[in-house]
Amino acid sequence: MTVAIVLTLLGASHFQNFGSAFFGFSYGSWGIMTFVVGSFLTSIPALAIAMLVGLGVAIASTTYLPKVLAAWLDPFVDLLAGIPSIVYGLWGLLVIAPYFGTTVFPWSTGHLSWIPGFAPAKFAPTPGIGTSLALAIVILTLMILPITTVLMRDALKSVPRDLWESGLALGATPWEVTRRVALPYAKRGVWGAAFLGFGRAIGETVAVFMVIDQIERLPVNIYSGTSTMASLIIGTFDNALLTNSYGHEYLHYLAELAIVLLAITLAVNVAGRWLIRRTYTEVAGL
Amino acid sequence: MIASAPSFDGPVVSVEGLTVRAKQQRLLDRVTLDFAGRTLTAVVGPSGCGKTTFVRTLNRMTELTPGLRVEGTVRYLGQNIYDRSVNPVVVRRRMGMVFQRPTVFPMSIWENAAFGLRLVHATEDEIDAAVTEALQRSGLWEEVRGDLDRPALSLSGGQQQRLCIARALAVRPRVLLLDEPTSALDPAATQRIEATLQRLKEEIVVILVTHNVAQAARISDRIAFLHSGRLIESGPTAEMLERPREALTAQFITGRI
Amino acid sequence: MSGALAVPRPVGLDDLTRDRTGHVVRRTWFDRAMRWLLPLLYLVAILPILDLVYWVARGALPSLSLATLTTNPSPGVGSGGGLYAPLVGSVAILAVATGVALALGFLGGLATAEYLDERSAGIVRVTANIMAGTPSIVLGLFGYIAFVTFFGWGPSLAAAGVTLGIFMTPYIFRAADLAYSSVPSHIREAAVGAGARPIQYLLRVASPIALPQVLSGVFLAMAIGVGETAPIYLTTTAVELPPLGLFAPASALPLYIWSGFETGLVLPSAIALAYEAAFLLLVIVVGLNILVRLIAARARRRLEGLFQ
Repeated sequence: MTVAIVLTLLGASHFQNFGSAFFGFSYGSWGIMTFVVGSFLTSIPALAIAMLVGLGVAIASTTYLPKVLAAWLDPFVDLLAGIPSIVYGLWGLLVIAPYFGTTVFPWSTGHLSWIPGFAPAKFAPTPGIGTSLALAIVILTLMILPITTVLMRDALKSVPRDLWESGLALGATPWEVTRRVALPYAKRGVWGAAFLGFGRAIGETVAVFMVIDQIERLPVNIYSGTSTMASLIIGTFDNALLTNSYGHEYLHYLAELAIVLLAITLAVNVAGRWLIRRTYTEVAGL
Repeated sequence: MIASAPSFDGPVVSVEGLTVRAKQQRLLDRVTLDFAGRTLTAVVGPSGCGKTTFVRTLNRMTELTPGLRVEGTVRYLGQNIYDRSVNPVVVRRRMGMVFQRPTVFPMSIWENAAFGLRLVHATEDEIDAAVTEALQRSGLWEEVRGDLDRPALSLSGGQQQRLCIARALAVRPRVLLLDEPTSALDPAATQRIEATLQRLKEEIVVILVTHNVAQAARISDRIAFLHSGRLIESGPTAEMLERPREALTAQFITGRI
Repeated sequence: MSGALAVPRPVGLDDLTRDRTGHVVRRTWFDRAMRWLLPLLYLVAILPILDLVYWVARGALPSLSLATLTTNPSPGVGSGGGLYAPLVGSVAILAVATGVALALGFLGGLATAEYLDERSAGIVRVTANIMAGTPSIVLGLFGYIAFVTFFGWGPSLAAAGVTLGIFMTPYIFRAADLAYSSVPSHIREAAVGAGARPIQYLLRVASPIALPQVLSGVFLAMAIGVGETAPIYLTTTAVELPPLGLFAPASALPLYIWSGFETGLVLPSAIALAYEAAFLLLVIVVGLNILVRLIAARARRRLEGLFQ
């Protein structure tokens, strides 16, 4: 009803500014690829880490921890989700960034330089400055951790108890049952969690902007700054406010970028939700 | 093969003074019972009498429920399975369990049957032989031999349950525990499983929990009757049905409780 | 062979106490390792929260005072002063937003739960989910284009409020939808059977039952909305005074932190102020969350009998 109206309005007004064909997919001026890449470069590692940790926590919560303890600890993870992103950004900037700059980076440039991307190139990190792609990934991971954890926990919980006990009755250890029975059963839920987490990650604007050392270029290594689609929009918005023709064009540009971001996010979210729903319908269809 | 262990001539499973407590209640009260090789024993009783709990103590599945305390001994070939030096994982390999509802895993038929074997990293040949044998023993072979890579979930309920039996048999246990395996199946499927069980009892110990006295009458060699956690009476099937010693037993058999 | 047993000990696989293949020990050890290692991952989530709260508190508390809450920030963002204007602005924007979100979301959710058939309901719900998934910055840009520019409101309380309201709508929608859908059908049948008209049923029977859940949803949406920066940033500007009217610019707590950030958090007073704003935000968010839990607990107790 009203919901549908609002959504179409949303899309419509952005399209309105599509106007001139600024579909420059090349790097550099008026191109958007840099930022699409930037978005992916921050979100995918963050997603990977959040999925791993989230999966571990979900397994711990459903398989190993006594129910009482899990009931107590789980809300803490949910708390992560309630913190507003600027507070994350503030904390990331004022507390973690210096820490990274003074402690972590010197260590990692020395000891981890064999990993591609971890070695300082010509642009070595300025000592003491921690804002970087790396920091953005870390903060982003924390922000999507609650979603991935909760969704995977739900997915694992949806495994029928009988199935679980059958696994154990065959002489498997709890870990083996989780790995060979519960996870395959909950596979769609796990993938759903991945998609939804990714959607949240690329949409994250403020915190990322504050810690990423924004620059409209591709990152050289993980210590350099870059931009994501979202952080660009909010970071360079002032350009769109200019009343001259440049400002006007810039607004179009941002609107177009926003639509791309929206399209990707929507696609990912729809896929994610569909996957999650399929876990349950498949069971019901038995 | 599945002959009785040559060096041991006691009962395969021997239960002595088994008491299971939960909070203040006794789910099982000093049950003492033996199970010899090549018999099918039906454990019967009204709902809530503890028969499911009983069967779950035999392979230490009671440990899954927090708050249950087990006292007494359960011996498998003379060894107390609750001894501290015994790992439940080992126990469960020697005693297979089939549940009330078919619990096939979301994999192919083959993988389901091979599950137990994969856990111990058996070789492909060993798995091959064992799976084929298990499927034959459970009576499912003829129906699925053509397409073992099919998802197990595409089988009918009765077939899935037989797959669960095959899965349990694949690791060659000496004992098979079944907790009301046919209560969710239609009569035709039930009949096939009963036939399978009757064949299996020639080879291993079968312990069958059932609320269906008629089923016990059909296929069991011995009947054990539980009521409110106590073993009221046990004996050969014919005797139990026609000349029960306890009044309670008679009442149950005739359907009054 | 142990001599303690009267019966000869079984051999091979039947020997329960000896692991012939070595596998079992290995598998058990692995399982045990996981049992202890995996819960440690909880720390990955918990430690950062603790650290964050600690630092925000540490930065905010020393200089937080009543004066902070009642004076306006000094001109030239980042130079000190108080947080009165951003605080009032946040509240005002939130009020407008909640109003909008209630209008759209509550009515929408109610309508979906009660009046729509399965297919339409499904479509609307999916749409709501899609809305919930749009990045806040995209919404903010839309707000700018639509309200600030097209409607000509300029950066204002109204623009920010409505944009934030759109952002919050899906959450309230979901809450209302679920709340009214989960009224047990036997209650509805009883009401109809007693001769109640649909409106009466809604007002006197269903709503009291659904209310706690809706309220929880509203507060939750508010908790999310108060901290959102992106929708607000593009639709209003940071000013040093509380909003003068609906169509005047309004500052807000997150906005204030943002502006501080943009001008460079160098002066200690600026840093302290930013922390204080962050602290206030946290307090509000935590407060709302606690409120939600209280409502949920109280409702559960009172409505226990209904759901059997």
